[in-house]
Amino acid sequence: MDILTDREIQELIAEPKQLPTDFGLVALKTRRGSRFAGIDFATTAGNKYFIFLRQSLYNPLAFSAGLGYHLSTRDFRLKRYNGKFHEHTNPLEHETFYDFHIHMATERYQLRGNREDCYAERAGQRFGSLKDAFYCLMDDCNVVLPGPPEQRSLFRT
Amino acid sequence: MIDTIERDFREKVCESLRLVPEGYERFRVFTPFALDDGDHLSIILKHDDSDGDRWVLSDEGHTYMHLTYDLEERSLSSGTRQKIIGKALTVHGLQDRNGELLIPVEQGRYGDALYSFIQALLRISDVTLLSRERVHAAFVEDLKAFLVDHIPERHRTFDWHHPRLDPDGTYSVDCYINSDVKQPTAVFGLITDAKVSVATISLMKFEQWGLGIRSIGVFEDQESISRSALARFTDVCDRMFSSLAANRDRLEAHISELLPPSPERGSQAAS
Repeated sequence: MDILTDREIQELIAEPKQLPTDFGLVALKTRRGSRFAGIDFATTAGNKYFIFLRQSLYNPLAFSAGLGYHLSTRDFRLKRYNGKFHEHTNPLEHETFYDFHIHMATERYQLRGNREDCYAERAGQRFGSLKDAFYCLMDDCNVVLPGPPEQRSLFRT
Repeated sequence: MIDTIERDFREKVCESLRLVPEGYERFRVFTPFALDDGDHLSIILKHDDSDGDRWVLSDEGHTYMHLTYDLEERSLSSGTRQKIIGKALTVHGLQDRNGELLIPVEQGRYGDALYSFIQALLRISDVTLLSRERVHAAFVEDLKAFLVDHIPERHRTFDWHHPRLDPDGTYSVDCYINSDVKQPTAVFGLITDAKVSVATISLMKFEQWGLGIRSIGVFEDQESISRSALARFTDVCDRMFSSLAANRDRLEAHISELLPPSPERGSQAAS
């Protein structure tokens, strides 16, 4: 199993990521009770990433916007911006909360045998919708939509 | 002693179990049960008049949504995953209403419904943990069955290694085809990058030893193999098949070319 160090994780998150298409214009598809969108892309350095959006049809607060990295052997979730639709527990910190939250990959949780992004922090007031969660993901993870800023549209909902 | 432990168990579970109003005739059910990423099960108790007057527990689509963080949504509709999900729904009495999983509360038995609901959701969520291993196991079984069907027993050895040069089996082969009349052939079933790399090293070793063994590589899914591992293997392998399912006819034809004339094969293969 590949273990990424915290430094490697931070380097991947910080790497500039220009999306090849206007992901914001990709319509969410409806399947199995959720709306879906996703895109795979590579950076100029050759690193392969993916972004996914999910939202429940039954609860608008049940959503997730995530950034992942394609390792040669598996997909590695770097960050995930979740809505408020369940509690979350950080097992190492013995902390449980019910709030909008941001999952982030850590070395310590991989070493413990958990999913790489098992650790999460409260999002505070940063986002309350899927659209805003995606904005936060773009800001935090150096993701840029193509085209001039004024023409960068968000995904159709 | 036992009383203390029992009380601790009860307190731990019961304290984590809460019911919080969240709108009209709607309650969020908090439980201590979490998935592998620390997210707890998402459970709502709500009044549902779409199918009579009843109360239901619902996941509001969260279970399937969570699965698709790791899996293609369409992969839930076929094969082993579909069977596991279907069985979990049936055994625990859940309904799949357009992706929303729910269980009706029968005759006021809220606790029973919650217990069944939690068991089913956890079982379904385990599909992600089991899936890769099961898929790998199925591929290995399928490839072995295929080779048994198409190679007479006396011409094949599974888990072969050179008896003199490699007595410990460091450079083993999934199936060794010895045709008597043509060069022997090593068949590798290739699942992961690691397996491809081991097969590459084995073939390089055979070359170094001057064994004159030809090779066949059958991928479970060639597209899942990294470019670098694939490139190295391509340099040393004589014939590759990108998957078993899509290449059964081609693989059969290729193997038949390696073996003696067919009368013998027909009777042997049937055994």
